[in-house]
Amino acid sequence: MKVRKLLRDLHRDIGYLAVGLTVIFAVSGIAVNHIHDWNPNYSIETSETELNGIDTSAIEKITTQVIDKLGIEKKADGWHRVNPEVVRIFLEGMTIDYNIHTSKARIEQVNSRFLLREFNVLHLNEPKQAWTWFSDFYAVNLIFLAISGMFLLKGRKGMKWRGTWLVTIGIILPVLFLIYYQ
Amino acid sequence: MKKFIIAVLFISILWAADTKNFGEDLTLKETTAISTILESPEKYVDQKVMVEGRVLDVCKKRGCWITVSSDKDFESIMVKVEDGVIVFPQESKGKMARVEGVIEKIEFSMEETLAKEKHECEKEGKEFDASKVTKPDVMYRLKATGAAIEM
Repeated sequence: MKVRKLLRDLHRDIGYLAVGLTVIFAVSGIAVNHIHDWNPNYSIETSETELNGIDTSAIEKITTQVIDKLGIEKKADGWHRVNPEVVRIFLEGMTIDYNIHTSKARIEQVNSRFLLREFNVLHLNEPKQAWTWFSDFYAVNLIFLAISGMFLLKGRKGMKWRGTWLVTIGIILPVLFLIYYQ
Repeated sequence: MKKFIIAVLFISILWAADTKNFGEDLTLKETTAISTILESPEKYVDQKVMVEGRVLDVCKKRGCWITVSSDKDFESIMVKVEDGVIVFPQESKGKMARVEGVIEKIEFSMEETLAKEKHECEKEGKEFDASKVTKPDVMYRLKATGAAIEM
């Protein structure tokens, strides 16, 4: 009797603690699940425009003229000649490929997805170090929540009937997927 | 003198904070010019090197590769990392990087070479001419274990 009460109290409080990270990991999980269809971290916009009258006699001139003609109020972080035709210009959050032969500028603008980027950083354990231990601790708590959850209720609504059936279905479903896809 | 030392320390801390490390710590003291590696790549296969250059491109989906500019025009080297072990952010594009790892040789089949060339042409909006691809491609890339990028 006392064990069930203790389990219920621990399940409740650890459950409260786990809400934040569960939501973060679940949202990020959905986002990275579809990585083949979209970039879960950034929105990348590309556009192309023609820039005539660029003096291509010196690379520094090309860089400043391209930025001026595009009306961008940022300074170039650097540049590199990718091939004999293309000069790649780097600005904060932006890359411009200027083609000397065609006079076309391809502009790529990268914006971090609000919150989703941060969620993914945590979910995919990019920080490593202490975050590894913290997320391990969280995972152990999830295991506790899963196991303790089975013993919160007594009788037919617990593991004596309904609980056993639902737990069995929950285990069989991923196993079936595994068999089907292997 | 005291003020000077404090100022130097402060600047050093600021500089250090701007450099973001990825993966394992860099261990080599000297860098090898990318142009030197690309001049005779066979010599460097399976060798541990550290290269330095500007990040030209970043894998848009997983951040699992970058290309680093050479000290010479029109040259760059691909840097590949284990998926998920190191994730390069898009913000590293255009930033100066030091990368350490082992040079590896990737030999493509004729079929893979054709597909790769076709993809490159599509990316650059050029017409693909299969007859121009006469032999399978070979790529030398850096399998990186660690990187430091001046964010």
